[in-house]
Amino acid sequence: MAAEGRVLHAQLHLLDRQLIHERTGELLGKVDDVELDLDAGIPVLTALISGHERIPATQIVAIDSAIKILPGDLDLTKGDDWVEQHIIDKIPGAGDATE
Amino acid sequence: MKRLFAVTLGILTAIGGFVDIGDLVTNALVGARFGMRLAWVVVVGVIGICLYAEMSGRVVAVSGRPVFDLIRERLGRRTGLFALIASFLVTLLTLIAEIGGVALAFELASGVNYLLWMPLAAFAVWLVIWRVKFSHLEQVFGLLGLLLIVFAVALWKLGPDWGDLVQQATSPGPIGHETWATYAYYGIALFGAAMTPYEVFFFSSGGVEEKWDRRDLVTERSNVFIGFPLGGLLSLAIAGCAAVLYLPIGVQVETLGQVTLPAAVAFGKLGLAIVLLGVFAATFGAALETSLSCGYTIAQYFGWQWGKFVRPRQASRFHVVMIICLILSILVLMTAVDPVKVTEYSVVFAAMALPLTYLPILIIANDPDYMGEQKNGRVLNFFALVYLGLLLLASIAAIPLMIVTRAGR
Repeated sequence: MAAEGRVLHAQLHLLDRQLIHERTGELLGKVDDVELDLDAGIPVLTALISGHERIPATQIVAIDSAIKILPGDLDLTKGDDWVEQHIIDKIPGAGDATE
Repeated sequence: MKRLFAVTLGILTAIGGFVDIGDLVTNALVGARFGMRLAWVVVVGVIGICLYAEMSGRVVAVSGRPVFDLIRERLGRRTGLFALIASFLVTLLTLIAEIGGVALAFELASGVNYLLWMPLAAFAVWLVIWRVKFSHLEQVFGLLGLLLIVFAVALWKLGPDWGDLVQQATSPGPIGHETWATYAYYGIALFGAAMTPYEVFFFSSGGVEEKWDRRDLVTERSNVFIGFPLGGLLSLAIAGCAAVLYLPIGVQVETLGQVTLPAAVAFGKLGLAIVLLGVFAATFGAALETSLSCGYTIAQYFGWQWGKFVRPRQASRFHVVMIICLILSILVLMTAVDPVKVTEYSVVFAAMALPLTYLPILIIANDPDYMGEQKNGRVLNFFALVYLGLLLLASIAAIPLMIVTRAGR
């Protein structure tokens, strides 16, 4: 896989890039760090780190102007869910589309 | 009419930059003290914001990434955080001033003290953000803000000596007892207002709200090249009115009432009514622009879900940031601080934020990975670099000049 893989510049293509849900387009955070496998000769990307969550490279769908992922079981929107439950949902109209 | 609706994002963005509450007063103040001798700065500013807003709009249309997303990506987490703090503070200070400005417009119309209107103004801004669709918000406040064209018509009605105004505009420099330092200070204030960072935050995020893609490049450009020159024109008209009415008799402009007076002199009560509605729309529009920009910058830096294109509960942190900012605005204004003075201090933070905002836009607009065929050409890059130099110069000079001139006094 390493031989056929795309050559990426960690700083330019990965770090601080926006994470997006591949299906829904939901914004899921930024890439804070990367995990590399250095045993393979050429370093190979094994995972992305966002906050406290580790996103295995297998869940990455595309690396473009944003990084599209399939989050699966990962909980990347903990903060948003907390604010939603405790504050935003208590305000009338929180679930309505704007007019 | 459909064409006009298509460019309301550009118009509203420009209104927030050129004729928000601080600039309404600054433009009139500059006209009363220097005549049209600083008009060239507005022209230079319009060209600069057109260059960079066009780049940010093009980047959004091609890559879908708004400005603050790119700032963190290109500057990294630390420098990005510094840029975030500086630009967030400018935007928040401006928001505070605008809430005060909306309340001042109501005070002028009703005679009831602005402090009583102020919580109501903040609540109304929140309600619009919470409930009203982005495209409706930009159409209503963008178009109503255009009522400020009454200043241009009033200038014509006042029947000035046009030759004299042109003479002033073509002979830059201070007059009377004014010094070069105050002249330069107000020059930087006008340049900074024209290129204030929240304009590109709002404009590029607005492009995402409007779901721009490559096919919308023409719309994006019409927004830039109609909206910002219109904003500059309004700014010049306000200065012109003050130059005609106040400069010859040596009156200093300090209040919003004095800013609106030329329209009343030219057209009586009807003129006053139109100008008050225009001021309301412009300050309310600027309040929407700055409160949304507070949410956009923080959410985009951290990668949170943002935007009015999703329901509030889907972007809960984005909405909570804006609610906190509006509550902070009420608290600050409760101290009875003069809303117009608040914007003077925002110049300091704007100065720090300017180069850090525009450099990443220029870098990305040249990145073939992002932009493909739509990357910047050489001529554009040349002018963009000249402006980056100007921004750097302004950012270095702003704070010393503010101290030396005691904020232009």
